Amino acid sequence: MRQRWRAPGVLCALLATPGIGCDGATDDTDPTPDPGEVVWAEAFDTSGAGSLSGVWGTGPDDVWVVGGSDAGGEIHHFDGATWSEAALPAGVSLLAWAWGFGPDDVYAVGLDGSVVHYDGSAWSTLDSGTTDDLWGVFGFAPDDLWIVGGTPDQGEPVALHYDGATFTPRPVDPGQNSRAATALFKVWGIDGDIYAVGQRGLILEWDSGAWVERFAGPEADQDFVSLWGTSADHIVAVGGRSSTRIATFDGASWTTSAESGYGGLNAVYMTSPDVAHIGGVYGFVGTFDPASGAIAQETSLGSDDVHAMWSDGAGRTYAVGGTFRDPHRGFVSVRTVQ
Amino acid sequence: MRPLAFSLCTAALLACDGTEPPPGPSDHGPMAEGIYAELGAPAPYATPAQLETFERGRAVALHRFSRAEGLGPAFNVTFCASCHERPTTGGSAGLYRNFFLTGVRTPDGAFIPGMSAGSAGGVIRLYAYGDEHDARPGVPEATNVVAQRNPIPFFGVGLLAELSDAELLRRADPDDRDGDGISGRPNYDRGFVGRFGRKAQTVSIEGFIRGPLFNHLGITSDPLSDAQRAELPVDSSATAAQGARLWLVRALEGHAQAAAPDGPLTDDDEAPDPELSTEELFDLVSFAMLLGAPELEPLTDHTERGRDAFDAVGCAACHTPRLEGPRGPLPVYSDLLLHDMGPKLADGLVAKDATGSEFRTQPLWGLRPVGPYLHDGRASTVHDAIRAHGGEGERARRNYERLQPEDQEALVAFLHSLGGAAQYSPGLLPPDTPLAPVGTYGGPARALSDDERDRFVAGRALFDREFGFSEGAGGPRLNGDSCRACHFEPVLGGAGPRGVNVTRHGILDADGAFTPPAVGTILHRSTAVPHSANRAQPEANVFEHRQTPHLFGLGLIEGIDEAEILARADADDTSPPDGISGRPSFTDGARLGRFGWKAQVPTIDEFVRDAFAAELGMTLPYEEGQTFGRLQDNDAVPDPELDLEQAHLLGDYLRLLGPPPRAAAVDPGAEAAGALLFETVGCALCHVPELAGADGPVPLYSDLLLHEILAPGAPGIEDASAATTEFRTAPLWGLATTAPYLHSGEADTIEEAIELHDGEGSGARDAFEALTPADRDALLAFLATL
Repeated sequence: MRQRWRAPGVLCALLATPGIGCDGATDDTDPTPDPGEVVWAEAFDTSGAGSLSGVWGTGPDDVWVVGGSDAGGEIHHFDGATWSEAALPAGVSLLAWAWGFGPDDVYAVGLDGSVVHYDGSAWSTLDSGTTDDLWGVFGFAPDDLWIVGGTPDQGEPVALHYDGATFTPRPVDPGQNSRAATALFKVWGIDGDIYAVGQRGLILEWDSGAWVERFAGPEADQDFVSLWGTSADHIVAVGGRSSTRIATFDGASWTTSAESGYGGLNAVYMTSPDVAHIGGVYGFVGTFDPASGAIAQETSLGSDDVHAMWSDGAGRTYAVGGTFRDPHRGFVSVRTVQ
Repeated sequence: MRPLAFSLCTAALLACDGTEPPPGPSDHGPMAEGIYAELGAPAPYATPAQLETFERGRAVALHRFSRAEGLGPAFNVTFCASCHERPTTGGSAGLYRNFFLTGVRTPDGAFIPGMSAGSAGGVIRLYAYGDEHDARPGVPEATNVVAQRNPIPFFGVGLLAELSDAELLRRADPDDRDGDGISGRPNYDRGFVGRFGRKAQTVSIEGFIRGPLFNHLGITSDPLSDAQRAELPVDSSATAAQGARLWLVRALEGHAQAAAPDGPLTDDDEAPDPELSTEELFDLVSFAMLLGAPELEPLTDHTERGRDAFDAVGCAACHTPRLEGPRGPLPVYSDLLLHDMGPKLADGLVAKDATGSEFRTQPLWGLRPVGPYLHDGRASTVHDAIRAHGGEGERARRNYERLQPEDQEALVAFLHSLGGAAQYSPGLLPPDTPLAPVGTYGGPARALSDDERDRFVAGRALFDREFGFSEGAGGPRLNGDSCRACHFEPVLGGAGPRGVNVTRHGILDADGAFTPPAVGTILHRSTAVPHSANRAQPEANVFEHRQTPHLFGLGLIEGIDEAEILARADADDTSPPDGISGRPSFTDGARLGRFGWKAQVPTIDEFVRDAFAAELGMTLPYEEGQTFGRLQDNDAVPDPELDLEQAHLLGDYLRLLGPPPRAAAVDPGAEAAGALLFETVGCALCHVPELAGADGPVPLYSDLLLHEILAPGAPGIEDASAATTEFRTAPLWGLATTAPYLHSGEADTIEEAIELHDGEGSGARDAFEALTPADRDALLAFLATL
């Protein structure tokens, strides 16, 4: 099914409701897009898939989507023409996020401390040394990989560093955790700076060998779930549970804004300094302009939540999501401008 | 014809307050039909299948969760209706069910819900079992925002769930563009307009039930499936949610019963998660959704005058008489929006988009029987509640205060007429509750004369009556706002569930020496002091639960001659040297104690005085010969807050309250065998089956003496002459209907209680454990008849 959004006009949703168009016209099965029209379309048939929560790739012909169910993790790959499901070692739990350094060097992390690595021919399991749930992975290089996780409201936040051979815990000092967060959801970095975001608005920066809390203001009161940026002084973190929270970093300080009327956000991917693609609850997808602070909803991809977004550098932006409850289900949608 | 007095008053209002003109007349009618019911009853539109679900859901709401079923590990109450009981299941509750809601203001000004034995959405949990937390979990030092919440009623919530976001948003005026001094802001929950909770922080009834079940009971649950949500009385499926969501992008309109949290809730007690099945949750949510709306009474001249005053004063600017739902206009008397209520009402709690001084306009339908009023129950009356309005409500308050007294009365009468008034009670006893017969629970001990009967009924009413802060409840601390607050299982005068346990605490040094904290050994459940969390003194290191024992047959116990009790004392275990001592408790060096877990109270009159002071925080006048109770306290209400007649009335009621009736044996043979085993196992050494009373044997199954039943050296609380490990032999009569057991309420079952005996009770415990399974069952069958 295709869903169209004519930017930058009046907000319009064609959503998953058949037969209703933004101009009131009846939807057709093979619409001819207008120039500049945003089209969201299903990337592949995910009816047999579990929950899908992470997407990463090296380009248009090398895209990885990770997820799973109570039965275990699953990974889907797009080679530019075909989607296929990858074989995983036994015992891998539901996978949450992926990151890599090339087509032959990809990592995925997930529940119960699961870490798997792809070497170009097969996925194998790595012993992370923890059974805590892992939600995010990012690296500058194969010997400089960061993983974060933890269980909301139980225990302590989890952070690990992997040097290509050994996982080393990088615990959070309670004195740097004013929000008593017990989970970090994502880690991301640029130009050597590493940031992690998590529960109750916690933002951490790895600074001189330790995590340091970075305050983002009174609106930083709900979970931050993901972050991305285009430079060391231009980073966006998104989250919120009851309504949207977006924190921006200008190189000196973080500032958070709250936007009512939208639910929480889970996903952000920046394709330019002016455009952050964002996704959240109830299939929300849209864009955020850091300069103006404006949010523009493009559509809703359905009743399930968007968990991750990523662009392939060739004009295709993926949104993956689903529901983390039995029966698990997921979706992968791709955005193009035609 | 409308009384002239009001017209004059209105004119005066306009004249003397020209800068604050009241809004125009409000639209009060006509309202939807076919939605009303007696409070607690199902809406008339419920289908037969839904009515069955409703009854099952009500049973879930009334079910007392045991530890084995998943209660805790930390909790406040043991069943839903603990906090939703007034005037009936699904309603509100008195001050004694207030709970603490807390938060942390971080260095950058963010508000984060406070912790309490883990994360409970900012709710402080008052009780815990197990080794992970103290019996009273500590309040973290970081917690720097503290407020109280009084439970809110559920009547008509299914109808509120059906309201579209559009209906609520059309009254929003966040920037007060119309310049009337009234703004009105929506709160949002996952993108939908919130409508439930003191700050409209929740849109989903499922979420509004699952959250408190976890936060207050420690009961875990999984979310309903989409198929189940579609079958709820208010369609809550993803499709319905999507329809509502679409409104935000101006494509469709729909009701917004959506946004229930999708995650399973888990805890780390020994009960497997989820502790509530999705079927039970479905029934419970259905029950809430089907509760009928309170029905407005027909207007009288008096209430019509009050309604006019309501409009003229400006109440209707927020307390919107009608909201348009799919079944027609609902007489909610609320816009369900957030309003700034000023600094005196501000609680500092941020709830999603609501600030620390914003509250949802409380619906006024069904107002009369669901007091106390305001978010923390500080107002005992509607009049008090109006006078506490500030911020956006200040103008209406001032206008109200300028009304003639008779117009104020008419306005209050109008508000009282908005449904449920016939079910009003000063406590929980429904009006005109008959007297229970002799020989039944709650009945008198014997046939009563007319005077005694009147006194018994009046004493029962006083026992049930709830006291507000303005009447002196809280001194400033309190455990209950009435006697019934703790004594209601299975009926008035009975025991209490774990959710009304008293917490005792103290300081034990390295040598085991006990020092009571500065506030005494009771660490109260609540306080009249705003923004106080009733933290324990930092040095306190021992905390114990005290389960509420029943009061049946107290008069018979009082009639037992002192010599009868002392005759069984064997403090040095010399006569005979059987491992069982038995020490009398002399409460003040002279009087023999016989009431309380440590036999620390000598008489019923002293028991009443002690309970008023220690549990309700209320003062009494001095009375010759009485040493318990308090003559003065530290609240703002002049002392004494009660008079001696009230104390005597209550004492007489308790003296006349009959003993617990014995249950018929299911298996008489087993019961007889069990009675014999009770003797041979050694239970009867302390649990003496009967003592001679004033009018014959008293079958209480206690010697009323102190025994060491904790392991030697175990931490505990000293009280009067009782050492830390000593307790009075608990009377066993009424055992079958007064679970949980032991002073701590730690045992779900009688068998568990036996297993937890230590010290002097270890011999009988070991002998019980050595019995064959059949003999054990026989003994338990016997105990179940008591």
